[in-house]
Amino acid sequence: MSGVLDLARDLLPLIWSGIVTGCLYALGALGLVMIFKCSRVVNFSHGNVAGFAAFLVYGFSTGFLLHLSWGAAVLLAVVAIIAIACLSYAVIVPLVFQSDLTATIATLGLGLIVQGATLLVFGSEIVNLNLPIPHFGTSILGLRITGYDLTVLAVAVLTIGILFFVIDHTKLGVAFRAISDNPFAAEVCGLNLRSVHLFAWIVAAVLGVIGALLIVPTTFLSSTTVASFMLQAFAAAVVGGFASLPGSLVGGVLIGILMNLFTFYVSPEFTNTFLLVVILLALNVFPNGILARAGGSRV
Amino acid sequence: MSENAGAMMVERGSGDRRFLPSSGQLAAYGVAIVVICLPAVLVGSWIFTLGICFANSIGVLAVSFLLRYGGEVSIGHGFFVAIGAYSVAVTDSHFGLSLLAGLPAALVLGILAGVLFAWPSRNISGIYLAVSTMALALALPEIINNTNSDWSGGYEGLYVSHGVLPGVPIALQQYYIPFVLLVIVAYMLGRLRRSRQGIVLLLARSHSAAADAFGTRRVWARVSVMGISCGIAAVSGAALAFASSTVSPGGFTLWSSIFLLVGSSVSFYGLTLPRALIGGGFLTLVPQFLSGSGAWIPVLYGLALLGVILAGQFAGRIRAARRRGPEGA
Repeated sequence: MSGVLDLARDLLPLIWSGIVTGCLYALGALGLVMIFKCSRVVNFSHGNVAGFAAFLVYGFSTGFLLHLSWGAAVLLAVVAIIAIACLSYAVIVPLVFQSDLTATIATLGLGLIVQGATLLVFGSEIVNLNLPIPHFGTSILGLRITGYDLTVLAVAVLTIGILFFVIDHTKLGVAFRAISDNPFAAEVCGLNLRSVHLFAWIVAAVLGVIGALLIVPTTFLSSTTVASFMLQAFAAAVVGGFASLPGSLVGGVLIGILMNLFTFYVSPEFTNTFLLVVILLALNVFPNGILARAGGSRV
Repeated sequence: MSENAGAMMVERGSGDRRFLPSSGQLAAYGVAIVVICLPAVLVGSWIFTLGICFANSIGVLAVSFLLRYGGEVSIGHGFFVAIGAYSVAVTDSHFGLSLLAGLPAALVLGILAGVLFAWPSRNISGIYLAVSTMALALALPEIINNTNSDWSGGYEGLYVSHGVLPGVPIALQQYYIPFVLLVIVAYMLGRLRRSRQGIVLLLARSHSAAADAFGTRRVWARVSVMGISCGIAAVSGAALAFASSTVSPGGFTLWSSIFLLVGSSVSFYGLTLPRALIGGGFLTLVPQFLSGSGAWIPVLYGLALLGVILAGQFAGRIRAARRRGPEGA
């Protein structure tokens, strides 16, 4: 009996914090899936661009570049990131309609450029970037819940809720789904593929910024922090099937919990190897994602 | 030194005698002669850098081979390069054996690892395979760091100190042996292209049903292409370990794997000696020239990657437009 209680005492916090970080992985994965769904391109520059955004917020709010309030800094960074997203899409647009694999390699090039730009502007130092949230902590059933946890959950739920609402109920969302299902038919019906692709790139970039800002307080900010966090996002996307938005949400939370359990019970040193195994297993056992067998999905 | 060079020329000559030299082969001979003569005029540090350049060129060939014959993009070939490098370093520092023992071990382990990776991922292709190779590259440093550090040397890595040819200065060995390996790999790839096996592999890529009809299963072709490519990558790692005389986990990050892909695309995925040297040279010499401002290296690599891809794209379109032009008129 006490063994069961001990297990529960260990498991509950692990699952809780897994859900919190899983929401962040899901935000990253949703960005990848948005772009992949409509254009079949895997955006390898996603993590680098999101990391650059976090650095921009740091630069704008701490006086490294500008002296702005946190909110204004985030706004300015989002504008800059949207500009980068538009520019990135403009560069690869000639490739997208020819070969998705070539366009995917091109995103590696974009990632390298953004990575270099981050190093050029901000150097390779490690900085701290915290969220302006009050320190708060409470304990429920032996579970420590902090203000950070609640902020992450609230922001993630809000963002994902808005995204799913837009995709389910607006004209733009209908166009996005149409193009994802059948680009040729959608184009015949008069939809502009490029503008919907651009919508996906912009949404993905904004999701990346949100994810980056939320993940950085748990560690520190360096030129590789966010890019390396993207492996989890990739794993989440793969587990979800890479073409399903709810799938990547479930995948993100699942990866978050599994990673926590693996680190706690097995080994904290082999997390990337564990993710590699998860990715290979998921690709072989659920090639269309874990939600595919439970009967399709709409978004 | 001259013996070594002579032996190499004989070897190249005997294989190619049956074929009249084409312009490509002449270019390869020209490049080979220039490379053989270079140490006479270069200072030591450049000889060292060029040795690494030859090793990287082999790695570029491995990535290009996978792309040409398998149609797959790998951003995790650093994993297999590391297997080759560590095979050589471990045989050198733990058994006191030279590259002559380490190289076969590297080749066998590289092919084995490639097949072991390719078999579970035999049904994965395109971007899915690219993502799994990315995970492979990201898992590598922690695997090296957390294996028994007596064997892998941990964070600090291992040294490769044994020469291959007694009496020859080690600096010249570090230059010529990677080059000989590069020539052998490029030569064998050339032979493979003309062989039945090579054509079958290409057929399995472009018309898998036809290849199936001729008795070549698609899965077999995929796994063998991956095996060969990873074997070449391991040879590259062996050459790299020998040329640089150190091996450490810091040299095998995701970025080094991506750089191999950059080198491969800069050489337009060519499998010949001059093309491989272009790719390897780009990878090795750009950081050398930009050593003062390291942050420019990824920017330049990224621009080169994008530039080559876009140039290839538009060159194809212009050619297509030209072909259409006269017909339309």
